[in-house]
Amino acid sequence: MSKRELLLKRIAAIDFAIVELNLYMDTHPDDDEINEKLNTYREKSANLRKEFESLYGPLTLDNKEKNQWRWIADPWPWNNCEGDEC
Amino acid sequence: MWVYEKKLQYPIKIKNTNPKLAKMIITQYGGPDGELGASLRYLSQRFSMPYPELKAILTDIGTEELGHLEMIGAIVYQLTKNLTPEEIKKAGFEDYFVDHTTGIYPTSASGQPFTASSIAVKGDPITDLHEDLAAEQKARTTYDNILRFCDDPDVKDAIRFLRAREIVHYQRFGEGLRICTDKLNSKNFYAFNPSFDKK
Repeated sequence: MSKRELLLKRIAAIDFAIVELNLYMDTHPDDDEINEKLNTYREKSANLRKEFESLYGPLTLDNKEKNQWRWIADPWPWNNCEGDEC
Repeated sequence: MWVYEKKLQYPIKIKNTNPKLAKMIITQYGGPDGELGASLRYLSQRFSMPYPELKAILTDIGTEELGHLEMIGAIVYQLTKNLTPEEIKKAGFEDYFVDHTTGIYPTSASGQPFTASSIAVKGDPITDLHEDLAAEQKARTTYDNILRFCDDPDVKDAIRFLRAREIVHYQRFGEGLRICTDKLNSKNFYAFNPSFDKK
């Protein structure tokens, strides 16, 4: 697994926890303990995303990096290849 | 409004092509219990939902289903990459291939194009939430059936993830239904539509 894939996998894991707890909070909006946990995952995700984006380009269009149009760069999420091979 | 994230919810990396399997899995793209129908069902039902918890759960699950649609598209795309005409013929993939080449088209496994008649929006929260509970179980059954024909660990792994999501969504919709019935007016014990019959 490439470093890029590994980092994406770590982001997917943290973001999965966020999705899961977010759905839980929709039907349990008064659960402060889980809400706090959600915030720690959000922080972890933000840090990992920052690291990923500085190396491989933006994950979303609100990214403020200088070379914004690295957005178009391969691979796109459905590609199972790296860079020029796509 | 939506914001695109240039990543999958769960990584998909399939080493070996398998057009036969792709033809089954495409049903979760555009088939009767697929992810396209799921997202349209929830994102459409939410407009007539009365309570904030229900508006939120339908918005958030509907959004997650769009991510699953993308995952299924990625699986089918990777399973059908760089095929030769011989491989296409051997796998019985010719009928899909002549219409769509290896493009990703919303259709069922048996070749019926996506149709909104496989989803329902009734405008009554109790009715719609029961539709959603059934829909999650139908999708779970479909993933179970796909797993019966699937021996590639790369594909199995992703399909198992998606199957597990159906179970969690079923749980959340069950809680949504409980919230809904708890909030019915105490005079409304015959469960008249709380979105329309306001008095």
